[in-house]
Amino acid sequence: MVAETKFFGTIDIEEEKIIEFPMGIIGFENLRKFALIYDSEREERSKISWLQSMEEPLMVLPVINPIDIVEEYSPIIEDELTKSIGDPADADIVIFVTMSIPSDLTKMTANLKAPIIINTVNRKAMQVIAENQDYMIKYNVYDAIERLKKAGE
Amino acid sequence: MIGNNIEITVLEVKGEQIKIGISAPKNIPVYRKELYVQIQEANRETVSSLDMESLKQLL
Repeated sequence: MVAETKFFGTIDIEEEKIIEFPMGIIGFENLRKFALIYDSEREERSKISWLQSMEEPLMVLPVINPIDIVEEYSPIIEDELTKSIGDPADADIVIFVTMSIPSDLTKMTANLKAPIIINTVNRKAMQVIAENQDYMIKYNVYDAIERLKKAGE
Repeated sequence: MIGNNIEITVLEVKGEQIKIGISAPKNIPVYRKELYVQIQEANRETVSSLDMESLKQLL
């Protein structure tokens, strides 16, 4: 499937690599098909990936594995909720959190409250709102990202 | 009833406040609107705030 993207020009993604969001992403409910893009030009793979819509070039969300930015991440999610993506076993789930990256990088945040859950078996995914009261929508990650960068150098 | 499986019930009316119960199958997410709106806004901001120049420093 060929799609225009905001940062990566025209991309051609194999059908079996497309991630389907049956209910869209919160605020973008009409967009269903996404691809997870990594910056592979660099030798050292960046920890940030891009969830790019295959239908809307401007819709691209930077995402990161929460374990790269917090010591522990265990969102509380009603089991039944993940039925709409095929009721995956824990081992078949991949979790990402979205990041907000403004021009002032010290204000960079990650949304721990609403993780993206991907069922790696059928490549269906959804964004859920975790019940954890202490998980912030705008959790500052500048320090964590700087640490990662240094570790990678 | 909404559809054939979502039921909304008025549980209590107390002065100007009313308490509503929503009974829905567990696979249907029921979220507080203000929280849902906050997530919507955060997602939109995430998409619109992206700045290629700052990303270059980051990647």
